[in-house]
Amino acid sequence: MSLAPAAESDFQPSTQEELSRWLADNSTGPARPVFAVGGGTSTQFGYPSTVAGQTVSTTRLDRVIDYPARDMTVTVEAGITIERLQQLLATERQRLPIDIPEADWATLGGVLATNASGSRRLGLGTMRDAVIGLSAVDAEGRLFKSGGRVVKNVAGYDLCKMLIGSLGTLAVVSQITLKLRPIPERSAILWVPLSAIGEAEPILERLTSSATRPVAIDLLDRRGAELVSAKSRLSLPVNAAVLVVGVEGGVRDTDWQLRTVQDEIRRVQSGESHAVEAGEVDNLWSALTEFPVAIEGPVTFKASLLPSRTVAFVEQSARFGCAIQAHAGSGIVTGHLPGSAETVESAQAIIRPVRQAAEACGGSLVVMRCDDDWKATLNVFGRSTPATDLMRTLKTQLDPRGLLNPRRLFGDM
Amino acid sequence: MHPSTTPADSKITPQVLARLVEIVGVGGILSAREELVVYECDGYTIEKNTPDVVVFPISTAQVVEIVKLCNQHQIPFVPRGAGTSLAGGCLPIGGGVMIALTRMKKILEVNLRDRYAVVEPGLVNVHLTNHLKGTGYHYAPDPSSQGACTIGGNFATNSGGPHTLKYGVTVNHVLGAEMVLPDGRVVEIGGPCEDSPGYDLPGLFVGNEGTFGVCTRITVRLTRDPAAYRTMLGIFNSIQDATQTISNIIGAGIVPAALELMDQGIIEAVEAAFHFGFPLDAAAVLLIEVDGLEVAVDDEARQIIDICNQTGAREVRTANSPKERLLLWKCRKQAFGAIGRLSPSYCTQDGVVPRTKLPEILAFIIAMSEKHAIRIVNVFHAGDGNIHPILLFDERDADQVRRVLAASDAILEKCIELGGSVTGEHGIGVEKINLMNKLFSEIDLAVMAQVRDGYNPSGLCSPRKMLPTAGACGMEHIERSTPGRRAAL
Repeated sequence: MSLAPAAESDFQPSTQEELSRWLADNSTGPARPVFAVGGGTSTQFGYPSTVAGQTVSTTRLDRVIDYPARDMTVTVEAGITIERLQQLLATERQRLPIDIPEADWATLGGVLATNASGSRRLGLGTMRDAVIGLSAVDAEGRLFKSGGRVVKNVAGYDLCKMLIGSLGTLAVVSQITLKLRPIPERSAILWVPLSAIGEAEPILERLTSSATRPVAIDLLDRRGAELVSAKSRLSLPVNAAVLVVGVEGGVRDTDWQLRTVQDEIRRVQSGESHAVEAGEVDNLWSALTEFPVAIEGPVTFKASLLPSRTVAFVEQSARFGCAIQAHAGSGIVTGHLPGSAETVESAQAIIRPVRQAAEACGGSLVVMRCDDDWKATLNVFGRSTPATDLMRTLKTQLDPRGLLNPRRLFGDM
Repeated sequence: MHPSTTPADSKITPQVLARLVEIVGVGGILSAREELVVYECDGYTIEKNTPDVVVFPISTAQVVEIVKLCNQHQIPFVPRGAGTSLAGGCLPIGGGVMIALTRMKKILEVNLRDRYAVVEPGLVNVHLTNHLKGTGYHYAPDPSSQGACTIGGNFATNSGGPHTLKYGVTVNHVLGAEMVLPDGRVVEIGGPCEDSPGYDLPGLFVGNEGTFGVCTRITVRLTRDPAAYRTMLGIFNSIQDATQTISNIIGAGIVPAALELMDQGIIEAVEAAFHFGFPLDAAAVLLIEVDGLEVAVDDEARQIIDICNQTGAREVRTANSPKERLLLWKCRKQAFGAIGRLSPSYCTQDGVVPRTKLPEILAFIIAMSEKHAIRIVNVFHAGDGNIHPILLFDERDADQVRRVLAASDAILEKCIELGGSVTGEHGIGVEKINLMNKLFSEIDLAVMAQVRDGYNPSGLCSPRKMLPTAGACGMEHIERSTPGRRAAL
């Protein structure tokens, strides 16, 4: 559970050149393992290192390099917090349209390294859609860049994609250029309580040909819905499950979408649905965004599924007492194991069957957070595939001595 | 300029040829000189070289056998789709075996509930969207060559297209692929489920220009059809007003589905070919499309028309019927075909600038046209800042060729100076290899070479593409030469 507070970091560069020099010195000198940390909100993710090393905090690398708002791009240093970035962009009615928990701590670099995303990924994409360029420093201190500051660019290999989700194991990202989106005039949410999780299936099926274009479709089980409702401080009705449908756009089309989606749902499901009041929508988005960090349960996982398998998966996980938020349109599920999973054996008794269900449809299950001692047993990233060899090749090519976040991704290198 | 003769040291011995015939069958191979000429270049015609042999596998297993044979005999090989690429990406440098994937063109699976399709690489882009007609879904990347180009080629070059302004380029729509690596291993990367654990290999492999192996199957994201369109044609008396309008539309936070510019030279050619009724005296037209919900498109269209009028549009027309809309898009997408009317040869450039710099780069293009006495016409993806100046010339005239190259380089270097890039969607190939070290530092290129050498250590697969390096075992330092271009000129 320990964050790595910036004040206790071994090294806090203020410029990327300083970072580059430090890593070069480390590489030619002591060659200590290097652990890059942003806001420290996801340090639990991945295998722990077995060797001591030095932490590099990016939190002082937080300058805005260039914000040509009329080009709808921004270039910032990696240590800027998501909250500060969004505040800046809001002055031009723009945003990075990714829902990030703990935005006051989380840094953009950390979000990139962990490929964090949230409910609106269905309509607005993830980091791989937003990052158009970056600079990073490799284990030898070489400062390199990829992409650029224009929205369309195919010059050279796309190392931005390679580094998104790489957990700091290939290079320390120092500067990032983003493609931005306008803040919509309006955002609206429909909250649909269901008397059984299975009731979501015909609705989801119906929504695949909806006249509307939801930006988010979340399925919450009872415990998940209770968490979100409590966190939002809106006393929303909770039943066995809740389906959440979000739409965004102009005032007129948002109203139309809300009404239309309500009609469409009514045709396949008899219960009531609640359009969340305009003044309360932000609270609910925020509660949905914070879901992955909303609970101190023993284990949090992220599963990746075919969207059509989501309902069955949520039913299965709910039977084990998990609190679930499923981005049902994308097949991405966050689950918190119940407090009763007090031992690694009892956690494994849940993780094993739900992971099997995910892998059976070609998906995966990643343990996002648990006690370090449990990680080897629970197997953080699940099965290896032939593609894992291609990932190891990248690690060997770019960090042959294994200095950057050793073990974190592969457990052994 | 002329097809080179098959190198005397060709490694395609009668034994190798016999083995290739065994793998793909006698109907799956071309090796006669006159048949090979077609494969001496792609849409970039300035440099040419014939492969020693072209094979047409119909399965992954055949591709594996071909690749293994090439490894065994140290023969270079290069994958090819329809050959519509514009930067020499499938130019067979050093001859060798060309692996043409056009017979692997099946649609293997369509899953609308989970919004994906699995296709073979030789499938023509538009055939997927045609196949999906009536389902309410389509495949979003729509390069202008979509009637001919293959999805495998799109994967290799990370193709764009007019509608990628709103919907994103190929990489935003690729979920996974099956690759035959340069050593003959078959690996599945990504898949229909999003967010595979570990590194984003599909993200890295899209745009590899054939240097990471041969893509033999692709899983793509399907996109809901828009419910409604509004397609407009803004007519301008000055190209500066047109580019300023683009800048103002984006600056106002509007993201149209497509925003294209055609200048007078192109309008003339397109009008002669399609008789749409474009005004021949206009300096530029903007083809602007908004799409989305019926309830929203009129508001957005109105905002755009207001901006056009404020920045000096002479007139803004709207397409009144789906038929008219399709004709407008046909004119735009086949503009390149119409250029044949203007000149015997042309070279299409592919620079990118920040969208606010469009007025500046257009003025520079006009200046270069005058300086090098080369006629340049423009048709491009304005909303992305992705310019496509088309340089008209006669390839039989060596001096004109030299002037075309000089003007092209100057324009692309100006793009770099303005904070842009030398290619938005066509790729580096061999054409732009000499610009890579202007855009990237030695370290940037060394890191890219390290990545490539992990997957293609022998350099046999698509040699001398993308990176200005010798392409051998990771020991090379960066050369400052232009091997492709020199080889051809």
